[in-house]
Amino acid sequence: MGLVARAIEAAGIPTVAISIVREVTEKTPPPRALYLRFPFGHALGEAGNRNQQLHILSLAFQLLFDATEPGTIREAGLHWRRGSYPLPDWDALRALSPPG
Amino acid sequence: MGRLTNRILARIYTAFPHLAAAWGKKLAADGSPIPWTVPRTPLREAVVALVTTGGVHLLTQPPFDMTDKQGDASWREIPPEAPREQLTITHDYYDHRDAEADLNLVFPTQRLKEFVTAGALKELHSPAYSLMGHIDGDQLRRLRGETAPALARRLAAAGVDYALLVPA
Repeated sequence: MGLVARAIEAAGIPTVAISIVREVTEKTPPPRALYLRFPFGHALGEAGNRNQQLHILSLAFQLLFDATEPGTIREAGLHWRRGSYPLPDWDALRALSPPG
Repeated sequence: MGRLTNRILARIYTAFPHLAAAWGKKLAADGSPIPWTVPRTPLREAVVALVTTGGVHLLTQPPFDMTDKQGDASWREIPPEAPREQLTITHDYYDHRDAEADLNLVFPTQRLKEFVTAGALKELHSPAYSLMGHIDGDQLRRLRGETAPALARRLAAAGVDYALLVPA
């Protein structure tokens, strides 16, 4: 995963990766990783939890514009099987832009 | 027999994430410089490519090779609009029963299309790209030397703005 992200980034395309095993991500860090301590096969959370999936994607895109140095691993701060998630703030997502 | 063993191990690793952490600590570190490209496009104007390592593929495509213990470093191209019934997962190294029930867990095309509908993304790039994780040895060298750079060149040639990578 980190290796593929690095290759894409090296080709001139900014990347953001989701990580579920920090110890693996730390061995080959991608340029930007959003870390969630979720089980294998559950990078977007629980099956059928649409709001959770949208929330995780929102955090990933936020990181895309927030990160300032390669190898950034941001803790998403989410807990596995947390019950409810709000709908994304679509206005804020539509406003996501490179800084400056 | 080998595939069955791998599937059982995959269920155990999925149920107990600390085992995955212990496994990760044993992996070799890649200390080479990490590339960096500055984002230049607002998200609402961006074409985003989805890359998964969840082993997703069309039923009409060859499955990932589960007979090579070092994995399969090839990729599959998947139209994001492909109907669910045309997609499957071939990957013995994680428990993908939940992902089969909701493919968005490893291949979130439906959720990303909601970003497009909401005007937060311009476009989800077609095709999406799928690989399998759990790559080692000769296949890791193939991934590093051939597959990953070739995939990256395709995305660059297509004018993709950003790539989102989702693991198994």
